[in-house]
Amino acid sequence: MKTLQLEFYKIKRRKVFLTMFAMLSVQFLWGLWELRNPKDWELESGWRALLYSLSLLDGIMMPSVMSVLASRLADIEHKGNTYKQLETLRSAGSLYHAKAICGCIIIALMFAAQFAFFILLGYQLGYVGHPDIKYYLLSYALKLASNISLFFLQLALSMFFANQMIPLVAGLGGSMVALLLMFVTTYSFLPWGGSLSASLVMSEWNLDTRISTYYYRTFSPPELAAVICIFIWLIVFYVTGRILFTRREV
Amino acid sequence: MAETNLIETQNLTKQYGKVRCVNTLHMKVPEGAVYGFLGPNGAGKSTTLKMILGLAKPTEGSITLFGTKMNKKNRMKLLADTGSLIESPSYYGHLTGEENLHILQTLKGCSAKEIDEVLKIVRLYDARQRKVAHYSLGMKQRLGLAAALLGFPRLLILDEPTNGLDPAGIQEMRELICSLPSSYGITVVVSSHLLSEIDQMADHVGIIRKGELVYQNTLASLHSHAKQQIALRTDNPATTLLLLRQDGIEAEKESDYFLIPIMDDDYIACLCRRLIEHGISLYRVEKREKSLEDIFLSLTGKESSL
Repeated sequence: MKTLQLEFYKIKRRKVFLTMFAMLSVQFLWGLWELRNPKDWELESGWRALLYSLSLLDGIMMPSVMSVLASRLADIEHKGNTYKQLETLRSAGSLYHAKAICGCIIIALMFAAQFAFFILLGYQLGYVGHPDIKYYLLSYALKLASNISLFFLQLALSMFFANQMIPLVAGLGGSMVALLLMFVTTYSFLPWGGSLSASLVMSEWNLDTRISTYYYRTFSPPELAAVICIFIWLIVFYVTGRILFTRREV
Repeated sequence: MAETNLIETQNLTKQYGKVRCVNTLHMKVPEGAVYGFLGPNGAGKSTTLKMILGLAKPTEGSITLFGTKMNKKNRMKLLADTGSLIESPSYYGHLTGEENLHILQTLKGCSAKEIDEVLKIVRLYDARQRKVAHYSLGMKQRLGLAAALLGFPRLLILDEPTNGLDPAGIQEMRELICSLPSSYGITVVVSSHLLSEIDQMADHVGIIRKGELVYQNTLASLHSHAKQQIALRTDNPATTLLLLRQDGIEAEKESDYFLIPIMDDDYIACLCRRLIEHGISLYRVEKREKSLEDIFLSLTGKESSL
């Protein structure tokens, strides 16, 4: 617990929350611009459309956002050469664990802020009814799982490599992979396809009416396997990262 | 009473690939000592100290700290009573000196009051509110020492602590290190590649060369290895040599001097009288001593840097 508290103390003045907010603000700006002046049919399916759009936006942006977050958390240790001191006071495993939990808390807060903003925006725009709590909570949980798995991947890279360009490039590459996946499939077993697999809403574009219909997804067995895969990646990345970190020599 | 060793290594070995950086090291650091760990650059000093702190895993051998053999399970417990500064100071540049120490104080579980105390010891109290990124290298080094001193541990391991310090800072650091055993009961292991530095700080010394401990004892004992000779210079070397040989004295020629073994004052006086009686003018009679540098070089090899 002390080690975790210190993780937050260490990032004082590093503007980690501000960085995350700045990245989220891209989504906020998109929301303010794209969702303005909704038509009647858009108001009708607004809450479902919102979940769908957010999963697409997250899919593209979050691999990069997670790489920035992991890098911000790990970089302070590389810059100050602190591991050789910290590891005489705490085991490498517990240091890694504290860093991982710290990142998870920031991610949870970030997505809470994202949901809060878009739900308020939905009400402001006059979406019909209320957000479906069950689907929104499930979506939040799956969003956390898929992004935390990416964060663990990035954290492993950021903690292992002193040169932060390597994990940052990996994060950008992840965003590119996610973008490509969106053109070809609705689910994926790749870690960067997590947002896609975890999307609870699907859309159907009607060419004649030029109207999109949004509906809650019924998961087929391979789609369900892709969702389970998110949790497998999460465990694999955490365990692998921790093993790599604890086995290396300072 | 038998001397207690705070650190004992048995056959400590570290191998990277085919290179043995540290080779079957038997290091013994007695309690209350300032142990100078001396060796040329790349001799294996830092690797050894890292293994003692559990930062590097020994390929072979074991380490006993405070009388207990160190293993994965008891490592953190044993290290709780140590402080260290390895190679360069560790710090968070975006935090102030005081905040940096707060992190370590929390991890060490010692009193917050000690932060001010150690800052005063290393003369950083006035700069405690400044970000460490704005500190000079010397100040960072002193902050590193302050961090190591937090909790006033039984054992302090300092790897080249005077790196980056100016001459006044070096002197100050030396005085501080020398005072630690008497003032706070701290045993200090200090590594350096500079013999003069160890000579001024340590009372025990271990000399490492290519990963092997080639000497370990008190510094006084190392000094006693210094070879003493008498050097003579006269106006007539040929006759001088003849007379010395007649007296059964082995002499070796070194430029204008004859070097003869050390002998008591009466014998020297007698020898001088005899030379003068034979009409030889005596220019110089000097006592020569093999310096610590010479001993160090003979132990570590001439190619090593001092």
